[in-house]
Amino acid sequence: MTTSYELDVNGVTYPVTADQGKNLLSVIRENVGLTGTKEGCDDCECGACMVLLDGQPVNSCSYLAVQAQGRQVTTIEGVMEGPEMHALQRNLLEAGGVQCGFCTPGMIMSAKALLERDEHPELDAVRIGLSGNLCRCTGYAKILAAVEATAVELNT
Amino acid sequence: MSFTIATTVDEALVALGAGARPIAGGTDLVVGARHGKAALPGDLVAIDRIDELGGVELDSAGVRVGALMSHAELMTDPVIVGSYTAIADASALVGSPSTRHVGTLGGNVMNGSPAMDTGAPLTVLGATAELRSVTGSRTVSLDELWAGPGRTTADLGELLVALHLPPAQDRCGSAYVRLEYRRAMEIAVVGAAAAVTLAADGTIASAAVALAAVAPTILSVDGVDQALVGCTPADAGPVVAALASEQAAPISDLRASDRYRRHCIGVMAKRAVDAAARRADGESIAVPVNRSLGIGAA
Amino acid sequence: MAIAEVPRFVRADGPDKVTGSGRYAADINLTGQLVAKFRYAGVSHARITKLDTSAASAMPGVFAVLTAADVPDVIYSPVVPDRRLFAKDVVRFEGELVAAVAAVDAATAQAAVDAIVVEYEDLPIVDDLEAAMADGSPLVHQDWESYAVTGDTVQRPNVASFSSIEKGDVDTAMASADHVVTSRYVADGCHALPIEPRAVVAQWEGEKVTIWTSTQVPFDARAGVCETLQMPASKVRVIVPHLGGGFGGKCGFHFEAHVAALAKAARRPVKLVFSRQEEMVAPDRRREGMIVDITSGVKADGTLVARTGWIAIDNGAYTADAAFFPQLAAMHVAGPYAMEAVKVEASLVYTNHQPSGSVRAPTAPQACWALESHTDELAAVVGMDPVEFRRANIVDEGVEGAAGQVYGEIGLRRCLDAAVGASAYGDDLPDDEAVGVAISWWPSFPGPSGAYIKIDSDGSGMIITGAQECGTGSVMTLRMLAAKELGMEPEDFQLVYQDTSAAPYDTGATGSQTLLNNGRAVVEGAREVAAQLRDLAADQLEAAPDDIVLASGKAHVSGSPDKAVSIVELAGIAAEGEMLIGKGSGTPPEYPSVSAMCVGDQGLAGWAGPQFACHAVHVRLDRETGVVRVLDVSAAHDSGTIINPVAAHGQVEGGIMMGVGQALTEGTQYGDDAKQRNTGLLEYKLQTAADAPTIRTEFIEIPDPNAGPYGAKGLAEAPNVPTAAAIANGVAKLVGTPVRQLPMTAERVWMTSEGMSS
Repeated sequence: MTTSYELDVNGVTYPVTADQGKNLLSVIRENVGLTGTKEGCDDCECGACMVLLDGQPVNSCSYLAVQAQGRQVTTIEGVMEGPEMHALQRNLLEAGGVQCGFCTPGMIMSAKALLERDEHPELDAVRIGLSGNLCRCTGYAKILAAVEATAVELNT
Repeated sequence: MSFTIATTVDEALVALGAGARPIAGGTDLVVGARHGKAALPGDLVAIDRIDELGGVELDSAGVRVGALMSHAELMTDPVIVGSYTAIADASALVGSPSTRHVGTLGGNVMNGSPAMDTGAPLTVLGATAELRSVTGSRTVSLDELWAGPGRTTADLGELLVALHLPPAQDRCGSAYVRLEYRRAMEIAVVGAAAAVTLAADGTIASAAVALAAVAPTILSVDGVDQALVGCTPADAGPVVAALASEQAAPISDLRASDRYRRHCIGVMAKRAVDAAARRADGESIAVPVNRSLGIGAA
Repeated sequence: MAIAEVPRFVRADGPDKVTGSGRYAADINLTGQLVAKFRYAGVSHARITKLDTSAASAMPGVFAVLTAADVPDVIYSPVVPDRRLFAKDVVRFEGELVAAVAAVDAATAQAAVDAIVVEYEDLPIVDDLEAAMADGSPLVHQDWESYAVTGDTVQRPNVASFSSIEKGDVDTAMASADHVVTSRYVADGCHALPIEPRAVVAQWEGEKVTIWTSTQVPFDARAGVCETLQMPASKVRVIVPHLGGGFGGKCGFHFEAHVAALAKAARRPVKLVFSRQEEMVAPDRRREGMIVDITSGVKADGTLVARTGWIAIDNGAYTADAAFFPQLAAMHVAGPYAMEAVKVEASLVYTNHQPSGSVRAPTAPQACWALESHTDELAAVVGMDPVEFRRANIVDEGVEGAAGQVYGEIGLRRCLDAAVGASAYGDDLPDDEAVGVAISWWPSFPGPSGAYIKIDSDGSGMIITGAQECGTGSVMTLRMLAAKELGMEPEDFQLVYQDTSAAPYDTGATGSQTLLNNGRAVVEGAREVAAQLRDLAADQLEAAPDDIVLASGKAHVSGSPDKAVSIVELAGIAAEGEMLIGKGSGTPPEYPSVSAMCVGDQGLAGWAGPQFACHAVHVRLDRETGVVRVLDVSAAHDSGTIINPVAAHGQVEGGIMMGVGQALTEGTQYGDDAKQRNTGLLEYKLQTAADAPTIRTEFIEIPDPNAGPYGAKGLAEAPNVPTAAAIANGVAKLVGTPVRQLPMTAERVWMTSEGMSS
């Protein structure tokens, strides 16, 4: 059944008319028109679709869009701070933590949520914090380094 | 088809009474639908904004844990971590940070998976489930609640509103450990929870052990208390391992053979008792035990 | 020895990728676009007795339904052509395409797919490699003898390609050994598993089709479309938006023609996006399962004298690009060791499994795992430390390898020393920890490639290249090469790439070849532009062109840095007359000849630019459960000169992590019906960030004169080769005996330690 509601994505309110069972990922990509959030699996297992819902990481592939009404959705397109890259984005590039880039948006969302709940994470906390985001390219080493560098940069 | 956002339990119960299904985080429902396991119910009532369903409250009968408590909340809640640590161990192992944020205790319990992580801890801690419907409420034991893989005895009009835990005892500790092949994004291959109370002389005064993923529902191990009372925790290990392996009725599937599961459940039960006893003795073992003691893939 | 001081190398495509603005194939949407869905066989071996698409075609919103009857009857695949776009008469694996649908939306397309009536008569399932090779086995391809195989390919019933490497008199040499050790190792298949599932969008304009696709090899994809739809290359344009990883899984030609044919029939643009489950089942790119039998003879002093090997490789139902697998596997079972005599035979065996195809260093991780586990067994038999045993027997400069190739200066010994030295090998470790060591090798793959270089009127550079970026960064590295030739900065160059209508041919992101081959093309193209700049500067500065030096964005007279003109200024001058345009291709390095007798030769017994590596892996074993955790990895690699250190380290780290997964948790599980059982990421377990070990990498930089620019060899595949083997040797130390199945799952480790076989 098609239903209509409003969705706040990156601070902009979008009217959405979509099937009640449509997941948040598909609504973001198809109705809202933001394709930075990726689909890598069918079942909440890869993290490429990670967005923030009221600041907390959520696998948008496995979350009904109608349930996100009245909450703030943040996607990768909402991470830039004006014209400037967020420190995470910049540090990922500089550390070499971006290769094919398909996991990168989701990885950034998880890292952002991690650093917001833990300003000075130990290395293992970073590993666990990013454990819902699979990356096949990097072996994670440079991603972990970039997140650690960002924690230092943002909190010193 | 309908989608209702309830903000009170009463609103939710009215919707349930009219045939809607409750959705909190929704992960299992949405993934299940995409895999063709079960179509997404046509009528849904979102219960994730009902304040009454949250929180951990101390009351005269012990502790009331709201069904909407997320795994992320449970793994850091001071009452849960302090006195019902096995639940925190289990919550900290669920999936990934995002699934721990979205996933709720109530969803875990009502999904009825035999591999659920919080089920064995709730069982050894003596939890009961408070179910409410438009006609009233009832409290049932978890044993009564779980009917089989993915099935409960709750009526369609009933909503799990809270889990109730008896008051924590002195010199009591609990722990949950599981076998996992990697350190995150796992589901229990087998899991075991233990609650242990120590006597003044350091021997076991009472004990309970429950097992995940070795039977159609969470399996409470019979005879643990009789067998372990008076034992030192070190002596208890082989005894509980044998009991667990003996009573387990595991299946073979993609994750493990029945033979391997039967072996590993004994190992996990032994480790759970060991960690629970150490906690009972005042040792601080950080949540989750798996990672702090290097168990499984830790 | 990086060619430029670039402590931080920022990818040209990086900003797109971190901001979400970068478009991947699934992000392309065209006006009027339809959705494609496939009908898969769903059974592993059967004869089609009925195929009726009429109900599907009649459904509202369905624009096209295609089967084998609707496309040219072309049998394709390189070397061993044995398949069609759609099954004709017989289906040979569960993911084989029977029909394709284009409809207005996904739900309609799926409903139409479900409405297609297909009836089957079961045929016997072939899924056991040894049984398939036995006399009288049912055949996967009844008419295999009619296939138009090319080159020296040797075939047998149920064997798509057979190769052997034989040097010396192996019987006599083996008889001279003091110890003879025989081992069997069995590896399961596994997946490349890029995080991006593939997507294809096709749109026709008149007789021309443009295809946006997530391929590693756009020119191959174009060739596949041309061959199967019988079109000239000039009518087919393949564009790859950003590519979300490949690891070989997106090499070869896959579904571009199906989508193009649908779009033609529907007269609308058509888009295909795979689910993860489809990605696991349908492509002909799975890492091959393998049985390896090795027998080696050693002298009491630890000298290796002879080796025989027998290898069966699971080809699956069709051969894809796998015809060379037997020869490569044989090379890896012979290994980078010197010995008097060797004889290794390898067969690529048809089964009713998903087809195998090149995944990052095809055949090598499994064969290396078998060989290096076996090598530790040999060391034990003669009572030598495994590292010392290797030092005594590895190939080195001037030494003849197993296939008879004589090596120049190579870094294998230094790799062994460096990786072992950086590890805790030999240290006093807790009794549940150990360090395992393995060495490996891998060829570089010379091939044709091309690029254009231009400098526009404002001095900005452009590299127009056939190369394909799949995440390795090698295409990004091309900017460094152009900049060095032209005295400019890498950031001065933009890239036009991944478009078959824009640039000359390149093999694509396959065989670790981009830097090796396209690097050569870019250097040559840049040198043409440099010569133009020198001529222009010589006029301006009244000097001889040979005396002009290009540096720091300027052309100056040698010895007189002040007598200079900026490249921007020269570009402005050139824009008014003869423009600054260079082209490069160059002659690929030659493959060395070898003395071994090679039956079924695929040209891969003599290796140009051979790469060498050693990994020393520190593991911890939970003895009661068999769960293994990798704590840290020390890696040393000889891939020649390293041009781009940040990208190079990324390749090694990613390759190692993939190897850890293959070692411990990644393996395809099949049912008795030959269908895959673990097609989701919960049951097919990649390593997570939580599992990431510490990785230390050292590059042994020895420029190779018969390789790529500045002596660079390939790199992307090599780091994936020895990790599983090194883990195996660590685990074997702790368990007391090797785990003879890959992946070495916790259950298999436990069973081995309990003396059980599975």
